Amino acid sequence: MIKRYLSAMALALGLVVATIPAFAAEGGEGLPSAGTNVNDRASLQRGAKLFFNYCVGCHSLKYVRYSRLASDLGLSEEEVMTNLNFTGAKFGEPVISHMPADSAKTWFGKDPPDLSLEARAKGVDFIFNYLNSFYLDPSRPVGWNNTVFPNASMPNPLWELQGLQVAVHSEAKPGQESVVEKLELSQPGRLTPEEFKGATRDLATFLEYTAEPAALERQSVGVWVVLFLALLTFLLYLVKHEYWKDVHENH
Amino acid sequence: MANLFDWVNERAPNLAPTFRKHMTEYYAPKNFNLWYYFGSLAILVLVNQIVTGIFLTMNYKTSALEAFNSVEYIMRDVEWGWLIRYMHSTGASLFFVVVFLHMFRGIMYGSFKRPRELVWILGMLIFLVLMAEAFMGYVLPWGNMSFWGAKVIISLFGTIPYIGPGLVEWIMGDFLPADATLNRFFALHVIALPLVLLLLVVLHLAALHEVGSNNPDGVDVKHGPKGNRWDASKPIDAIPFHPYYTVKDLVGVGFFLLIAAFIIFFAPTFGGWFLEHDNFTPANNLVTPTHIKPSWYFTPFYAILRMIPSFFGTAIWGVIGMFGSILMLALLPWLDRGEVRSVRFRGMGYRIALAVLVISFLSLGAVGAGVTAELIPEWFPGADATTIENAFGRVMTLAYFGFFAFIWVYTHFGFEKTKPVPERVTMHD
Amino acid sequence: MANEVVDHGRRRFLTVTTAVVGGVGVVAAVVPFIKSWEPSARAKAAGAPVTVDISAIDAGQKVTFAWRSLPVFVVNRTTDQLAQLKGLEPRLLDPQSSNAEQQPKYATNETRSIKPEWLVVIGLCTHLGCVPDFVPDIKPEPFDANWKGGFYCPCHKSRYDLSGRVFSGVPAPKNLPVPPYHFVDDTHIQIGVDPKEAG
Repeated sequence: MIKRYLSAMALALGLVVATIPAFAAEGGEGLPSAGTNVNDRASLQRGAKLFFNYCVGCHSLKYVRYSRLASDLGLSEEEVMTNLNFTGAKFGEPVISHMPADSAKTWFGKDPPDLSLEARAKGVDFIFNYLNSFYLDPSRPVGWNNTVFPNASMPNPLWELQGLQVAVHSEAKPGQESVVEKLELSQPGRLTPEEFKGATRDLATFLEYTAEPAALERQSVGVWVVLFLALLTFLLYLVKHEYWKDVHENH
Repeated sequence: MANLFDWVNERAPNLAPTFRKHMTEYYAPKNFNLWYYFGSLAILVLVNQIVTGIFLTMNYKTSALEAFNSVEYIMRDVEWGWLIRYMHSTGASLFFVVVFLHMFRGIMYGSFKRPRELVWILGMLIFLVLMAEAFMGYVLPWGNMSFWGAKVIISLFGTIPYIGPGLVEWIMGDFLPADATLNRFFALHVIALPLVLLLLVVLHLAALHEVGSNNPDGVDVKHGPKGNRWDASKPIDAIPFHPYYTVKDLVGVGFFLLIAAFIIFFAPTFGGWFLEHDNFTPANNLVTPTHIKPSWYFTPFYAILRMIPSFFGTAIWGVIGMFGSILMLALLPWLDRGEVRSVRFRGMGYRIALAVLVISFLSLGAVGAGVTAELIPEWFPGADATTIENAFGRVMTLAYFGFFAFIWVYTHFGFEKTKPVPERVTMHD
Repeated sequence: MANEVVDHGRRRFLTVTTAVVGGVGVVAAVVPFIKSWEPSARAKAAGAPVTVDISAIDAGQKVTFAWRSLPVFVVNRTTDQLAQLKGLEPRLLDPQSSNAEQQPKYATNETRSIKPEWLVVIGLCTHLGCVPDFVPDIKPEPFDANWKGGFYCPCHKSRYDLSGRVFSGVPAPKNLPVPPYHFVDDTHIQIGVDPKEAG
């Protein structure tokens, strides 16, 4: 009898343990958490504004339509077309950057990638920390390097907001190269460090949204589905219990 | 309505008796427990995969140029497309959860033993077809893991002597996984294998109904006392499948859907285990993902493949080991000759061996999934992680195959000491 | 727990209640699948209203624009052509445009348009969908000795006047449809949106 319950418990416990990976932090190999909340509409709007002001010059969001941005971010068609649409597209069309691919290859060494799915491919923590980790590096063609993605081909798009960041290198051990110990601001930008963290958080939140717009909807639908299924399962149990009286009384 | 029933009955007189034979007059032992939900759940998931699969096919584009984009189109532009996609991807993983537990029930309670060997063999064939179906399905989004996973698995066939390289090219229809490969995998995944799967499932159930269901005590109800409250000629400890097990299985369905709903609506990627991060990047034959690994349900077998080293100039031993690990399962009815079916009455040696099987299978899964590669440097900093992982993985591979060797010796030479099997089933209410 | 008597009433109540709740669930589950057939965001974007420049269309000329993958004829009718419209009424099947499906209210007039000279119709024959030829000249034609200008469908010989109204005695049953449209300004028409909506 006890063995039976033990095996049932082991099964249940095993299934519960198996769900732990689902709630593991996405992406970020030990990177500080971005703290994004895709349900924070104000954050999404700020992030969108930042994206279209600082990123769309090079990076497309080819799976995102302006019309979808309007409905998901609570903006009117006019607001989107005036404040966000700098690519000259029609309202229903996707966000395509006008950076010519061959020019980009010449200037940066590679085509700036489309960022629609970046948050799902690399994780929001990666994006957040990446945006915060640029530092001046004269040895690089674009003059910038990044501790999160070493030798990235891109300059710091947000330097006006962040300020100029430099790397402090540790003492070089004999036979080894010195590593970057920390980053610090050599010149302030338009935002304070706290404000800048908020801005990059907003950007990361916006990209988290572009990677999965359905996230806004699925959680609210999910609550109803789960409640309904809980009710249905309860009713099904009552039916089972009623019919099984026949079986139990028979021994 | 009654007239309609009579009309059909006159023209197809065997329909009603067939329904009765397989539902209301199919007598199953009354002591089915938790482990007996997974067969009906497997059917539920199969139906889900087919229905959601059909609707995905309505918008999916199978060319290498368009496939990735079409999946994002489904996720964003098609009304409710995201839900249909998540139901399909979650269903695929849950299919394997259900099937593994279903198979484990069979091993625990000896449901593979005489006279049910055919049921077991058909089940193993279903398992094989299911793995092929899942593998091909995973290639279809044409993400970077789709491409590299396809490349690695197809290249396994290159280890076969003489015909290997030609075979690989034949499978791919190109010199690397390409549009040709994607299109034929689409055809196989969408229609060919599902038809085979459906046929095998029908045969699996038919074979089961021929001999009747086993039960957690392994008691043979058919050869025991007769006479229950529904039919004097049927086993005393059996009950009509309908309505009792239909109604009970529906409760299982409710719970299962609840769990599935949690995943679909609140954690659809399941932390990257059900939908992998690398697959949100389009296929790129020039950039390999940092860690190529197959979907979680293949990881134990993938580990066995990796753990068996190459020698005599060929890597085929790993491939043989990988397929051999599944073959061992199929051969269980002939390896395990014990007369007693259920673990409840079997010797202590068997219980320990079963635990070893589970532990080794899960450990091999951890190796194949790259979990050990991550944990070992943390737990043993400074040590050679590869050596430790290889040692661990090889021990677990030996343990896994050791289970089958042990069972053969244990039962063929009469070492097992079993407890007496009761004549009647035991219930715990 | 011995239960000698089966309470059939309770059984039926429970089973029916559960079946009803389950049925609601099944219907709710089917809804997303059915809705997935609705035009996707991509189709809606492609089917979005189009704004066209009519300044280059000379008097007597027709230009075809695409809207929702349909050909839309925009014709700049001359005063001569407009003058013919009244006299044709006895030969037409639906001269008053009584079939409300074929045009919006603001095009239910003799010229079937907002501004008299500008005709905007979908250029698909209402018989079986061929694209009719534009035959604007007022002169006898092989298919009609008394031709006053209009459209002639080569597939099965249906004829329409220069308001897109169908002649009697031809296979086509209805006037050429007028899509929703309005004047953005004097030189631009937006096809796909009625005048009231645009305002």
